[in-house]
This record gives sequence, structure tokens and C-alpha cells, in this order.
Amino acid sequence: MREQERRGSSRRLRQAFVASMACGAMALASCGGGGTAASDAAPPEERVLSAQAALGEKIFADASLSASGRQSCASCHDAAFAHSPANALAVQLGGANGDLQGRRKAPGIRYLATNPAFFFDGEGTPTGGFFWDGRAANFAEQAAEPFLNPFEMANPDKASVVAKLAAAPYAADFRRVFGERIFDDVEGAYLAMSLAIQQYEREDVEFNAYSSRYDAFLRGQATLTDQELRGLALFNAPGKGNCAACHPSARGSDGAPPLFTDFTYDNLGVPRNPEIARNADPAYFDLGLCERADLAQRSDLCGAFKVPSLRNVALRQALFHNGRFKTLKDALTFYVQRDTNPEKWYPLAGDGSVQKFDDLPPELRGNVNTSEAPYNRGPGEQPALSGAEIDDVIAFLRTLSDGYAP
Amino acid sequence: MTFHRLRVAAACVAASAALLAAPANAQSASEIELARRLDQLAAELASVKAELARMQRERASATAAAAAAAASAPAAVAASPAVVASPVVASESQAQGSGIALGPSTVLTSYGEIHYNRPTHDSSKAVADLTRFVLGLQHRFDEKTKLVTELEVEHAVSSSSDPGEVEIEQAFIERQLARQWALRAGLFLIPAGLLNENHEPTAFYGVERNFVETAIIPSTWREGGLQVVGNFDNGVTTQLGVTTGFDLMKWDAMSTEGRDSPLGAIHQELALAKARDLSVFGALNWRGVPGLLVGGSVFTGGATHGQAATSSRVTLWDVHTRYTPGRWDLSALYSRGTISNTAAFNTPLVGSTSLVPASFDGWYAQAAYRLWSRGDLSLAPFIRWEEFNTARSFASLGTGLTPDAAPTERVVTIGANFNVGPGIVFKADYQRFRVNGDADRFNLGMGWSF
Repeated sequence: MREQERRGSSRRLRQAFVASMACGAMALASCGGGGTAASDAAPPEERVLSAQAALGEKIFADASLSASGRQSCASCHDAAFAHSPANALAVQLGGANGDLQGRRKAPGIRYLATNPAFFFDGEGTPTGGFFWDGRAANFAEQAAEPFLNPFEMANPDKASVVAKLAAAPYAADFRRVFGERIFDDVEGAYLAMSLAIQQYEREDVEFNAYSSRYDAFLRGQATLTDQELRGLALFNAPGKGNCAACHPSARGSDGAPPLFTDFTYDNLGVPRNPEIARNADPAYFDLGLCERADLAQRSDLCGAFKVPSLRNVALRQALFHNGRFKTLKDALTFYVQRDTNPEKWYPLAGDGSVQKFDDLPPELRGNVNTSEAPYNRGPGEQPALSGAEIDDVIAFLRTLSDGYAP
Repeated sequence: MTFHRLRVAAACVAASAALLAAPANAQSASEIELARRLDQLAAELASVKAELARMQRERASATAAAAAAAASAPAAVAASPAVVASPVVASESQAQGSGIALGPSTVLTSYGEIHYNRPTHDSSKAVADLTRFVLGLQHRFDEKTKLVTELEVEHAVSSSSDPGEVEIEQAFIERQLARQWALRAGLFLIPAGLLNENHEPTAFYGVERNFVETAIIPSTWREGGLQVVGNFDNGVTTQLGVTTGFDLMKWDAMSTEGRDSPLGAIHQELALAKARDLSVFGALNWRGVPGLLVGGSVFTGGATHGQAATSSRVTLWDVHTRYTPGRWDLSALYSRGTISNTAAFNTPLVGSTSLVPASFDGWYAQAAYRLWSRGDLSLAPFIRWEEFNTARSFASLGTGLTPDAAPTERVVTIGANFNVGPGIVFKADYQRFRVNGDADRFNLGMGWSF
């Protein structure tokens, strides 16, 4: 009987999960793809979470669910830093003892409500998905992974996570929401935990606040300074920064505020980061998309990583998938001087030649985007942006941080 | 068909009168009775003849430009705003009122065109295209009420991976309210300029529609709403309406579409059209002198639908004239559009590929001459001079941020239309551009309309 109940409970959860995913997919289909939010609703004044989301909030902040007992979701996704890491490490430390480097920089997890599951669009452009390689289809799938990642929360299996859940102070709430016998079913309980986190990330207005000064500017409630406006113009201009090509800055056709990402992937040839210990091994490369089992045959996608939203980018202390750059000034200078001054970014070989795109094996370096501005230049040419213009763009990017109070 | 029946009826009445008259002399009926019957028949014959003459006059009036063009400018046989603007064909309803049968209540029409464009400086960009194929279905519910629809396929093949589009171009009900007034409801063409309501290939000179009436007036431009049409004996036609309008939120600052046609980039075509802000329009055309048309139109309405921080209004107006004396077909048009509050709308888009212009305008003058004709064949060379600017001005965004106004493009088109009857046309022309010299091209085309 108990086994039947467990199976029933698990089945209901799976059905709920499928229904939840279907609803998410329908919502995404109706908003017509990425690039802007689903609506321009002003931030709600009251923060009201459903019981499931309120449970998710507790799980999100619960370090006892990690092997070390010192790491929670919030450890790498700190609300005070727009749910990005609170430090400048290239990759966060985790594992059973909290001393192992993660593989990639912990991404910001705000403004993903309309991020679709991974797909190739009509032109074959990889789009959507969660993580830097889009392998998770939704918040729940994404949330389920770190608990078992040996370099992160490092639990040996789902049962150990569920056992910790059952011992947590909110275990009674968990049973109330998902059923008295939920902890008897490891798979069901683990799925329930993932759904609760997903619900929290969907409901909590902090994840979709649209409360930056730029949002207020779009609503006609704030102005930008001359420097910020110049920066916006350089950000948009196809012949200058051309940033808006992947990080759209304009409202959608339905009036929705921009998300500053088109949810696609790009291969930027970011330099190898010696701060990541694995990179000491010359045979080791993080190949991004093509490391996924389902894309292993797509060598043309090797080196491509997801285009992140630039909302709250000024709060991030490490940038790009390998955290190679720590400041916006360095990151933007790299963008515009990567091809005009490659010697500034890449090591020299024995013969004095520049080892451009050194974080990819030589045979895959042809995948790097060299056709679009600002990369479509060569040594000796003027960078697309001057130092002063980069400062203007940075001034604009600082208007994208949440929490502006008119 | 109706004329034919009338002629047959007249002939029958005359023959009957003759037959009746002949035996009348041979038989013994009284002369008074015979005379009375002859008078009665003669009166009926006169009445039928008068009806026939009136029908011919009305047919000629209703197809004024078509008839005139058949004599003086065959290329414009199908072209006359009078045809489209006329409320439910008055002659038909009157004919029915006289007990004369109407044509079929459901009618299938069609027009289409195939183009070949060959840039003179880069033949690698030459293209051939079945530009459009249109099927029209009209149904007359009764003598006062009809449905007009048009279904169009552009570029031959329409699918998710092909360039074509399938569109409903018109779908409206028209109801005759009085002899001079009719009401339209549904999706209809906006009465702007000379071409928008008369866009069939047999109705205009040149393979491609003129630039002013595509870049400035976004032909084929239609909206959903209500319209009243008044046709008066003094040659005045007036059209007034309330419709859906443009959607400025569709403006894609990262593309060049808005540079090609500001309003073409933001029209909605009644496809889930945002309709918080409605628009109004009015058009006045006068045909008081045979062969002459003088008119103008204005359209204005909100275009942000409550989705932007500030509201913007789109306004477009035009004045136009056409004169067809003898073998000549002369026309000219000026149109200007404005969009208000573009500074507020454009500021977040600074630096992008194309910002919303504050104003845009253009004009053209065209002369065609029926040089040769034989039977139903005719050849009409023409020349058209156009100047237009899709971004005449931008609202100020501050130093270094305000885009420069676009240069005014000038296009000269020289070519000829060769008509086979009123419904088929073959075309050839050469177009020379002043600003975008790379666009110079030869064009060939064919079209039909019935």
C-alpha cells in the first residue's frame, strides 16, 4: 500500500512537472522568443509567494543540503549581487570540503523567466537552455544539478539530499505541500525540491524586478546622463560596439522591456584563464556546447557559450564563462582590441607569433566569431571603441543594475 | 450581359410591333383598336430604348476612366479611383428595380503579376518573381449588399522556409444606404493617393509600383473599420472612416526596413492588430470634368497603444491629380507623413541602424502617351520622375545623437506598357536612381486583371 502511494505520489509529481513544463513552453511560445520580457508590468509592491515558492526560497538558502554543510544555492547566487557570486573568483569553490574549483563561472540567474529550452532556430542558430551550455531545459532541471555536482554541493546521490531535506527545519512544510509520505519516495522528493526552487525563481519579483534606472528611463520616469546616452548609442551602433546585436536594448514589439540577451550562443575566443587550476593541463579545454553528449558531433559549436543578460552586469566581479576578466573595462577592451591588438590578450609562441584563441585546440580556433563588429578588424587597425568610448559604454551598463529608486 | 438582354428585348418589341401591325391591316379588327395597340407597343419600345440609353450612360459613367482609357490610354483601362470608390454599382440595382436581371450573385476575380528585375551594375542580383497572385471573391447578397474579398499569395511559394506570404487584402461588406451613400465594414483599402485602391498591374505604368506610393504611402495599405462612401452627381466622391492604425512598437531599430518605408514597417494589416488607438481618415475626389481627377486624403491616429512612455501619432496626407486628354495620361501626386513625439521614442534606440523619422515625404509626376493601337492592342510609353525621402527629418536627441536626415532619392523611370485588351499587360522599363546608383535596373513584367 505504502509503495503504491509512493508510486502514485511520484507519478503525480511527474505529471505536475510535465504540466508545469508545458505551461512554461506555452508561455514562451506566446511571447515569441527571447529578447524581451513577457510584459512590462511594474514591479509588484507586495512580495507574496505561493507555499511551494516559499518552500523553494528556504531550500535555496539552506547550506545544510550540501556535503560540506557550508554551501547553498545562495552561496553562488547572492541576492545582494543580483544572484551572482559575491566574490571575484573565476569559478566558485565547492565539493565535500569546500575546496574544489567549479568548472565554469557561476552565472547570474535573474531575468530567465522567458528563457526557452534549448533549440536550433530556423537558421540553425543554437538558442535557449540553462547553464552556459544550455543543457538544462528549465529552472527545475537546472536547480537539480548543483546538489549532486562533485565540485559544488557534492552530495553522493539523491537519497542523501532527500535525507537532509527530511531533517531540515522546514520538512513539515515540505510534507504539507507535497504530501505526508513525500520523503518515502526519493525520486519524487528530489523532483519536488527542484520544482519548489523553480517556483521560487519564477515567483520572487527579485528575479524579474525590472527596477533598474534604465527601466525607469524606458518608462519615462528617469533620464540618462549625456555620458550614459553616448554609451547607449555606442552600445547600439552596428559600426561601434554592436553590443545590441546579441544583447538587445530595445523594447519588444509588445512593449516588453529588453532582457539584454537574445538567448543565443557565441564563440568569442576568450583567453585561457590560468586562475582555473585545470587549465594547467595543456590537454584540457572547456569546449562549451559541443561537450554536450547530444552535440558531440557538432564540432562547429565547440567554443560557443551562452550569451548572458547584461542586466546587473556591473554587479558581477568576474566575467565570461571562465571568469577571465574581472572588470567591465577589461572585458570591453578585450572585445574591441581582441583582433587589433591580440598580443595584449594571448600568449606568444616560441617563434614570437600570437597564440590567438588559446583556450581552444588549434583545430577548433576557426570557430571563433571574427566576422561581426567589433571583431571584424585586424592588427594595426583602430579598435571599434576608444578608451573614452568604453568608459561611456560602462557608464551606460551601470544603469542596468536593479534597485533604482526614483 | 445586361446590355445584351436589353438589346434583345428592344428587338423583340420592335419585331412584335411590326408583326402585330402587319396583320392588323389584313384582319378585321377596328382601326381604333389597332391604333391603340400600336401606340402601346410604340410606347413600350420607346421606354425600352430609353432604358437602354440610360444604362449605357450609367455604364459609361461608372467606368469613366476605363472607357476613356480604352479610347485614349489603354494601359489605364482598369485604373480609376471612380471604379473602386463607387458604391454598389448603382446601375445594377436600378436595373434590378426595373425588372432587368442582374448578373451572377457570386463573382470570381483575379489579378497577378510576374516581374524580372536586373540591376545594371550587378547582374548577379537579377531576380524573377511571381510577385503576386490574387483571387477575389465577391458575393452580392441582394441589390444593396455585397461582400468583397481578396486573397493574395506573394512570391509564389509560402511556407516557413520560403519567402512568400499569404494575405487577406480585402474583406468587407458594403451596404447601399441611399442612392448616393454606402457603408463599408471590415478590412478595406485606405483611399490614399492614386494607386492604393487601384493597384492591379493593368492600372499603373511601369513594372514596379511607384516609390512614393510604396515608400511613403504604404501600398497596398488596408485597415479594419468602418467607412462611408458618398458619390454625388456633381462628380464629388467622399470617403470617411474610423479604422485600426499603425503600431510604432513594431519599429525594428536594428533593421533597415524602416528606412525603406517608415509606415510599411509599422502597418498592421489587421493581423492581431493592436487597437487601443483608433485612426480616422477622409478622402475627397472630384471628377467634374471628363478625364480629370483632382483629390486628396488624410489619415491620422495614435500608434503606441499605451505601450510606450509617451504617445505618438502618425499622420499621412496626400494631394493628387490625373488628367487623360486624348492619347495622354498625365498624373502627379505629393504625400507627406509625420510621426509625433519621436524624440522620446527614439532616445532608447540611439545609435541603432534606423530611428523613427519625424517626417517623410515624396512626389512624382508621370506622363504616358498612347503611341500606337490596333484592335485590342496598344502601346503606351511613359516617363515618371519621383523624389522621395523616407527620413526627411528627425527630432533632436542632442548633439552627436540625432541622426542625419536621409538624402532625398530621385528615381527616373522610362518604359512602356503594352496592353492586350483591357485585362492583360506586358511592361518594360529602366529605372535610374540618383543616390543609390547601385539600384539602377531594367525591369520586365506581365500582369492580368479581371
